[in-house]
Amino acid sequence: MNNTEKYTQAFMDAFSIDAETAKTLKFQQIPAWDSVGHMGLVAQLEEQFGIMMEPDDIVDLNSYDKGREMLASKYGVDFSA
Amino acid sequence: MLKGKNILLTGADGGMGRAMTAAFAKAGANLWVNIVRDNADYCEYAQGLARENGVWIKPMVFDLTDGEAIKAAVMSIRSEKLPIDGLVNNAGILREGMLQAMPIADARLLFEVNFFAPFQLMQYITRLMMRQPNGGAVVNMSSMAAFDGVAGETVYGATKAALAAMSKSLAKELGRFKIRVNCIAPGVTETPLISQMSEEVLNRDRANTYLGRLGRPEDIANMAAFLLSDAASYITGQTIRVDGGRN
Repeated sequence: MNNTEKYTQAFMDAFSIDAETAKTLKFQQIPAWDSVGHMGLVAQLEEQFGIMMEPDDIVDLNSYDKGREMLASKYGVDFSA
Repeated sequence: MLKGKNILLTGADGGMGRAMTAAFAKAGANLWVNIVRDNADYCEYAQGLARENGVWIKPMVFDLTDGEAIKAAVMSIRSEKLPIDGLVNNAGILREGMLQAMPIADARLLFEVNFFAPFQLMQYITRLMMRQPNGGAVVNMSSMAAFDGVAGETVYGATKAALAAMSKSLAKELGRFKIRVNCIAPGVTETPLISQMSEEVLNRDRANTYLGRLGRPEDIANMAAFLLSDAASYITGQTIRVDGGRN
């Protein structure tokens, strides 16, 4: 599984959704992505990539695209493969 | 009481911390113990307790005024892939003096150690506890100074009141994840911290308790062990006074 697949899988596992839904998802777009679900997503991402996100980044994580950009720029996750 | 539980204890080599190290180890807990600098005497003491009680005790040297060091310590614990069942924010500092004469740098340092370090540790550790089916337990050390007021301890008391208030609200946030958050408010306890107090003041404090004595570190450590244990599984959001009953 490459990093993009792992990243998408984190959303799928956190919110019990399919990959297509995950890839366009924004915060609170579905009932599962509420404030509690948000921490579940953070848990999935931290476990998948072995990181510990800063509180500011947890707040800024408001969409699939934003999270991907953040993980690449701040946590050194390589999505090029 | 704590058999098989893994607990992070801060300020482990102080008077209260040593008593907690002993109480938790004797109750069967494994410990990550935070100390601010290498302390061979404490480490020897801790390893003796570990051997006697068949548990592990891992010293972790990090400075509680250094946010990056706190984060690195939590990352190190997480890399062990063990459950974290308990966090005890025991470390604290005291600076006494009239408010008018307290340098603001001292006031900031008090908040840094007594409030912001527990704040940050709870941020990180409870995030890990949320992922565990059995949640976890946090015990924070408040003080009677937070509730009764003590002349000369205005800022110290404020830091401890802030910690108690944070604990109450955090207990409400985390109850759904089976994470309990409680505080202990000790009375005057026989630790090295009270060496700054005169015998006259200590005698007055003794006389002011229903039990006619100062607290012993074991009194506080035993309460912390209880609050960490499953015996306290329906207790959260509380500040428990362990003060001998104060007039």
